[in-house]
Amino acid sequence: MSDAADVQRVLSGDVDAFARLVDRYYERCARFAVRMLGNRDDAEDALQTTFLRAYRSLGKYQERDKFSAWLYRILVNQCRSIAARRNQRERVFVREEAVLLNAPDRRPNWSGEDEEFVQRVLAELDPLLREAFLLKYVEEMSYEEMSTLTGVGVSALKMRVKRACDRLRARWERIKDE
Amino acid sequence: MSDELNSLDPYVQWIASEARLSVAVDPAARTRLLDALRTEPVPHRRGRVLAWLLEPRPLALPPLAAAALAASAVGIGMLGGLAIHRDGRPSTAQPPSAGAAISQLPDSIAPRAIKFVLIAPQASHVSLVGDFNGWNASANPMKAQGAGMWTVFVPLQPGMHTYSFVIDGSHFVADPAAPIAPDDGYGHRSSVVLVGGSSL
Amino acid sequence: MMVPSLRRVVLSSLVLLSAAAAAAAAQDTTSRVRELDPLARLSEGARYQVELLLDSAKVSGLPTTPLESKALEGIAKRADGRRIVAEVRKVFRSLRDARAALGPSASTDELNAAAGALRMGITPAELAHLVKTRHEKQLTVPLVVLSDLITRGVPRDTASQTILSLWQRGAADDDFLGLWRGVERDIVSGTAPGVALLNRAREIPSRGPPPAAPPASSARPDRSENSNP
Repeated sequence: MSDAADVQRVLSGDVDAFARLVDRYYERCARFAVRMLGNRDDAEDALQTTFLRAYRSLGKYQERDKFSAWLYRILVNQCRSIAARRNQRERVFVREEAVLLNAPDRRPNWSGEDEEFVQRVLAELDPLLREAFLLKYVEEMSYEEMSTLTGVGVSALKMRVKRACDRLRARWERIKDE
Repeated sequence: MSDELNSLDPYVQWIASEARLSVAVDPAARTRLLDALRTEPVPHRRGRVLAWLLEPRPLALPPLAAAALAASAVGIGMLGGLAIHRDGRPSTAQPPSAGAAISQLPDSIAPRAIKFVLIAPQASHVSLVGDFNGWNASANPMKAQGAGMWTVFVPLQPGMHTYSFVIDGSHFVADPAAPIAPDDGYGHRSSVVLVGGSSL
Repeated sequence: MMVPSLRRVVLSSLVLLSAAAAAAAAQDTTSRVRELDPLARLSEGARYQVELLLDSAKVSGLPTTPLESKALEGIAKRADGRRIVAEVRKVFRSLRDARAALGPSASTDELNAAAGALRMGITPAELAHLVKTRHEKQLTVPLVVLSDLITRGVPRDTASQTILSLWQRGAADDDFLGLWRGVERDIVSGTAPGVALLNRAREIPSRGPPPAAPPASSARPDRSENSNP
């Protein structure tokens, strides 16, 4: 059951076909949203709005586009709006005790708490760099896809990805020496 | 693409591989999404704006109350903090996030259809009771939806309401996903639902 | 002007609407029929005392529904008549105190929420201080959240001061609900309730001018209109 076929079904009135699309993409979109926004509540907001928007504008989807790219464009934009709206220091998803982000001398504890550590490290990246990094190395998209999605040119995107990697690397160097 | 990944610094590669791991998904959020989709009009192809209206087709009928009034989910209460996947498998995912819902509709004093959900796999009957139905267990019995999930839609006036679930006629439980009402004084906790409207 | 099939659709929707409205009305009638003699299941003595409290409420201009509801709740939960009377009396007193603190313009929901907070140990003075700032906003949601937090184990003073501080800083209903959701999660994950509240409260941005002087001070805040972002 291809995505395009399911979209056609939905437009012909088979709304359950959309539930199949949701099932196919929910977890992947959730992963992006959580990594991008750093907390589950915001991610859920983003997911909700993304799929609702996708549903409402399904008539605009054109078969020659990849459905996942089309969906991700909505998702990326939703994540950006939510981040902008929150307008506060990036929040990091914490599982256990609350961590104060503005305590720079706090040692990240990554023994056994990898996800938390990775989330924290990603949160330290500038949002546009984080977005590019996630799309490239987590969603594993090509630069062309990323360009269509974000509306940014390929070379600018390559620059962002490179900068993200440099910053991550530099952070690691600092942590190592602490 | 993976060539590029392999050429990365090993630490950055590690970050990427950790970030690629899937995140725990809240089944309640997904259910809320599907519920919200159910109340949306069916999408149509661009350029045929009124096609769905003009074509003779049977109207899909969501629950009566939801068709006429705006629906908003209160949240999914789970007894004992045990979450259930949609296929019935129990999970140890964290409890759901939604509690009291605020309807987003503009100023109105019309009642809203509020959906109450409780996951109680061991129950034979579940009822919703509260200050809107005189705490009467026969007024709003809940429907079993499978996988231990019980639901009911109730039209509620905008404002604050106190409620509880009654299992098998005598066991009162609060909604694990809603704010707790101040002491009930009778030895059972109750819950609060806040329905949006001009008063809130 | 309406296309025939469109008219059919609209008419069907109207039928649905009126059917749903009829269903809702029927439900109301059923409840109202029960309410005609809702207290019948109480013993004579208990019933008499509850009726007295209802009358007192009426005379004092207090809503009677919360008292009736408390009695019905007790009946449903098979509580002893004496306990029901005691609980109804508690509601009456807390409503009366809430009215005194909130003033005559308070809505029933605000009164109920405030009465609940008073029963959880919030003082009338603390309530009054909430009222003094941002009069145009309803207190219902912050008070519901406050009561919940205390029930979940947040120390009373911590809860009260934190909610007051957020309220004064201009927090909106959504902020309080978001706060509540976050704290609930953290507590479930094992965080100490007071710590959870303080941490989550920090996440809420200030939406207005800096907070007023603390309750202990005699200075009254003279506030011009708050600006919301």
